[in-house]
Amino acid sequence: MKSFKFASLAFIALFFSTFLFAQTADEVINKHLEAIGGKENWKKVNSFKMEANINVQGNDIPVTIYQVHNKASKSEINFQGTVNYNIITTEGGWKFFPIMGQASPEPLTEDELKVGRDQLDIQGDFLDYTAKGHKAELLGTEAVEGTDAYKVRLTRKNGSETVYLIDSKTNYIVRAISKVKANGQEIEQTTILSNYQKLPEGIVIPFTMEGVGPAPIVISKVEVNPTIDQAIFKVAQ
Amino acid sequence: MRIMLLSVFILIQSLLFSQTNVDSYTLGSMDARPLGPGTMSGRITAIEGVNAENGKLLYIGTAGGGIWKTINAGASFKPIFDKYCQSIGSIAIDQKNPKVIYAGTGESNMRNSVSVGDGLYKSTDGGDNWAKIGLDSTEHIARVIIDQSNSDIIYVAAPGPLWHDSPHRGLYKSTNAGKTWEKILYISPKAGCAEVVIDPKQPNTLYATTWEFRRTPYSFESGGSGSGIFKSTDGGETWNELKNGLPPKPFGRVAFALAPSSPQNLFAIVEAEKTGLYISSDGGQSWKSQSASKNVVSRPFYFSTLVVDPHDPKRVYRPAYSFAYSSDGGFSYAEAGNEGAWVHSDHHALWINPLNTNHLYLGTDGGVYMSLDKGGSWTFFQNLPVGQFYHVDYDKKDPYRIYGGLQDNGSWMGPSSAPGGVTSSDWKAVYGGDGFWVVPDPTDENTVYAESQGGDISRINLATFKKISIRPQQTDKEEKLRWNWNTPIVMGQANPKNLYTGAQYLYRSKDQGRTWERISPDLTTNDKLKQQQESNGGLSADITSAENHTTIFTITESPLDENIIWVGTDDGNLQVTTDGGKSWTNLAKNVAASGIPYRTWVSSIELSASDKNVVYASFDNHMYGDHQTYAAMSADGGNTWKKFESKEFSGFAHKIVVDKENKNLLFLGTEMGLFSSIDNGGIWFRMKNNNIPWYTLVRDIKIHPVTNDLIVGTHGRGVFVFDDITGMRNLSKEVVEKDVVFFPPPPLVLTMGKLGSNGFPPTGGWTVPNAPELPAFQYYLKEKLSSVAAKIEIYDKTGNMVQSVNGTTRKGINKLYWTQRIKPPKTAAGGTKRDVGAFIAPQVLPGDYTLKLIVGKNEYTQPLKVLHQDVDGFTVADRELQYKTALELFKMHEDLAQTVADISDKQKELKDLRTKIKNEKLIKQVNAYHDQLETLRATLLPTKQVSMFADESRLREDITEVYANVCFTEQVPNNMQIERVKFLRTQVDNAAVKKKQLDDAFEKKSGAAFAKEVEKLKAVTAK
Repeated sequence: MKSFKFASLAFIALFFSTFLFAQTADEVINKHLEAIGGKENWKKVNSFKMEANINVQGNDIPVTIYQVHNKASKSEINFQGTVNYNIITTEGGWKFFPIMGQASPEPLTEDELKVGRDQLDIQGDFLDYTAKGHKAELLGTEAVEGTDAYKVRLTRKNGSETVYLIDSKTNYIVRAISKVKANGQEIEQTTILSNYQKLPEGIVIPFTMEGVGPAPIVISKVEVNPTIDQAIFKVAQ
Repeated sequence: MRIMLLSVFILIQSLLFSQTNVDSYTLGSMDARPLGPGTMSGRITAIEGVNAENGKLLYIGTAGGGIWKTINAGASFKPIFDKYCQSIGSIAIDQKNPKVIYAGTGESNMRNSVSVGDGLYKSTDGGDNWAKIGLDSTEHIARVIIDQSNSDIIYVAAPGPLWHDSPHRGLYKSTNAGKTWEKILYISPKAGCAEVVIDPKQPNTLYATTWEFRRTPYSFESGGSGSGIFKSTDGGETWNELKNGLPPKPFGRVAFALAPSSPQNLFAIVEAEKTGLYISSDGGQSWKSQSASKNVVSRPFYFSTLVVDPHDPKRVYRPAYSFAYSSDGGFSYAEAGNEGAWVHSDHHALWINPLNTNHLYLGTDGGVYMSLDKGGSWTFFQNLPVGQFYHVDYDKKDPYRIYGGLQDNGSWMGPSSAPGGVTSSDWKAVYGGDGFWVVPDPTDENTVYAESQGGDISRINLATFKKISIRPQQTDKEEKLRWNWNTPIVMGQANPKNLYTGAQYLYRSKDQGRTWERISPDLTTNDKLKQQQESNGGLSADITSAENHTTIFTITESPLDENIIWVGTDDGNLQVTTDGGKSWTNLAKNVAASGIPYRTWVSSIELSASDKNVVYASFDNHMYGDHQTYAAMSADGGNTWKKFESKEFSGFAHKIVVDKENKNLLFLGTEMGLFSSIDNGGIWFRMKNNNIPWYTLVRDIKIHPVTNDLIVGTHGRGVFVFDDITGMRNLSKEVVEKDVVFFPPPPLVLTMGKLGSNGFPPTGGWTVPNAPELPAFQYYLKEKLSSVAAKIEIYDKTGNMVQSVNGTTRKGINKLYWTQRIKPPKTAAGGTKRDVGAFIAPQVLPGDYTLKLIVGKNEYTQPLKVLHQDVDGFTVADRELQYKTALELFKMHEDLAQTVADISDKQKELKDLRTKIKNEKLIKQVNAYHDQLETLRATLLPTKQVSMFADESRLREDITEVYANVCFTEQVPNNMQIERVKFLRTQVDNAAVKKKQLDDAFEKKSGAAFAKEVEKLKAVTAK
């Protein structure tokens, strides 16, 4: 009897540890891809146009984001009649912030461009990641704001790394932590993702993003696969 | 069998689930503020740099503050070990692949207050992620080294447990990068390995020192037959003890070094009957005794660092009590005495930059120093907040000050908030020596009581910083007084005039220590066997009061009755009097009945503020090798005790505290973490709030009665403040079961803060942001919500929404701050300069408001009272005029924005048309009209400014200037401002008029022709 009890407890312990830990990176990633709408739906995504707001001291600053898969992206901030933007394309990148006193567009630095280009894959790092030449490693679990999250380190083909924390209940990404080089030093940049909403196209995306600006960016409208005039990614020099 | 299995499963599941709602994350966003300070820092135990980084990338191991990483030669440091044991013994970097780091926990400077480790950790990504890889029971690790010719070979020298016999000590080796370990040198359960050195030219040649040592609560012994110096030439398979020329055994601890550039040259400071320096030039075959100064050879158990320059075998460093160096191969030593040469005493780590051997980093009992001239002068890093507090206290100033005493760093006070944030220079030294209790007199804001080790108590005048010794003295009625290393100084809670301290007797003063009354007999066991401190130390005498025993350690006066006093002793007596000291009852046996070992050191006693019979106590048995967490409560005045149990607990207990507002809210501080309970000790959880290390060494906890801040004193990470814990007080068993709870906000007093916004961001020191000057709205979520957003809308009593603020959706308490302002105006768009008017809004008026919390589709409302408080003569009437004026300016911005928008729209229309029309005359008129509009626009906002240093101010900026001044000062608008508002109003109105006039003039002159052209164009487009 005694030995039985011991055995059953061991079994249960095993069950629990299996339940929580014996996941592979692939299992975690597949569940995540399912949770955000499934591979097939994401493969249909070729472009996004998003309207969003950054609320600073009660003042909503409108932001428009244009993304063309693996080609180009542009974030446009309209403020006090000035148009400020950040452009990243496969050819190069520019920033123009007249609001900060910039008189004409300036090219992005090598480091900025590197980070930016990693984000041109709008279908997400995890979709067919092995085919893309990326590697994923499950580092373990970590609690994020009270929920257990899987910690997955994605190493891209080009060597850059992002650690993703994936909520074990919802399978959504709740944090993305990247090492970014700036001024010769490596700094950690954390993006907090929340407020996941399902779009009519079947995909699920975070409507709130924190850590990328002075205040959270909240998306108000998303168009999937709109036609985007390539001219908007050209810079008037 | 299956049914049984299932029932066990369900039972475990129900246990798990019944606890899911209360855990470390229930506190949500109640972040801690790490106040540090960095002013005096704390004990450093290990410094390792990445050789190829030329002194820029280093890891700093500390006695109780984890590991810190700098990538910029100390310009900034970042803690990278905050989820693990905080006591660090040694760090090793794989220099071939410097992302690989090993950290051995449990420092090996075996003083009385040394903490314990829980094994060896490894990171493969430069310290971002760590995994424990074994040696869990060694408790103390002195050295981890990697064979640089084969990075898979690791050696770990473990002195092992300090307070008990154990087989988990000796020299360990791994040949597979830490996957498995083999013990390759083991002496006895009493003697461990204190050092291992590898010959860089022949990596199979190893030197190791063994050390026999032991502490009890009342003694320390360094030395025994197990100590020795050993050599192996086969990677640790076999060992020879080195003896030739060394002093007769027994040895104590040996400080050992090898010259890396000439590895036959060895140096050893051998603790023995006659401790001395020994040098070998033949790989240890023979040794020569060498005379050396006291600093070089003193206190071997504590000073075990000896380092030879990596390239120069003649340059030997002996960082010990002070910093000594030799330039002649270790024969003679000197100390720098020039300007800039002073460093904190007591050294335990030295790293020499191999690419520039002038460049040193030194770890002391008071932080890290850097030298660029081989130790001739030093720069101190004030940005490493690893101070080791024993106790903390507060006063009731606004902002309040925090007081505390630190290991080897005296007693200090500093503000909880200060203009620009609390910086290193805000902290002031109050008293010297080792610091412990620092207690402000609640009845006299200029007086504080402080002490150095062994009960050397003084009263200090904070206006003059003069100190007067007030230590009670032995008379013919007492035995020799026995003062604990960490002697209690305590103020009365019922009667704040009562000042208490204790030797083996309890003393009370009612006049700030000018006169004392002894109010107890000897309250300890008075066990004479535990009073032999004069023969302490082992081979080297070490009598510092650190081992004083059978003394009073904790004293508490009931908040309800000054005649009820509880006393706890280091030898486990728990004594109570209910008649002000006339009679005493020892409750030690009652405590033992609850399952706490009999006569365990009483570390703290906490008395309820609502019930005389409710008492809490914490106990510390680690000095007998028992690290369990002991804390208990009694509801019947100490007759029966309930021992608190939790799987979350770790570390021996130092302090238990009950909240005075919510009697079910408890805090417990141990050697390995801060714990809380919201149900009077039923369920405990580790506090993992932002910024606080999970296993921080918590020595003291206080709750500020005015600000409701939780103040935590740690032994290795300074002071943490959890600003305003009223959110925690709202947590009850009922609350935590609900999905969403919007806590009623307390009345909100309108304020623009007290501390201003001056100061610089932190560079070169440890600067901590202030407590939020506005209280937060708080709500509770049972689970983290991933698919909804949360926000709070604020409505005035007419139902107008004045502001909307985005919130978080994390598990537990969520905090949201409202600036007390309405939404800002729309300001005129365009211009060549940014105008801040669009971010400025008037502060609301006092009155009744409604808060609407929206979580997804659900809404929760709470009424909010907003109050005015006269500050510096700013009355309600003043505020109303201020608001009215601000709104006028607000309106002006919006009116001007409209005019400018009209102009811009019209200009756009004209620009568009003039490229299409053919009528030359009309084009000229259109151009003129456009230019007139532009001339007008250029008076309304800047159109020419190209540099931020060429300020161009137009009407929009003129409005903002007054608007900002009116909105951001708690002051009635002055006469000039009122006049200015009138003037600006006219300007704004004139702009609209002027615009209209231009429109009319054009209309009159060219309207018909223009309309015709427009019609024509329309017709063309239609075709």
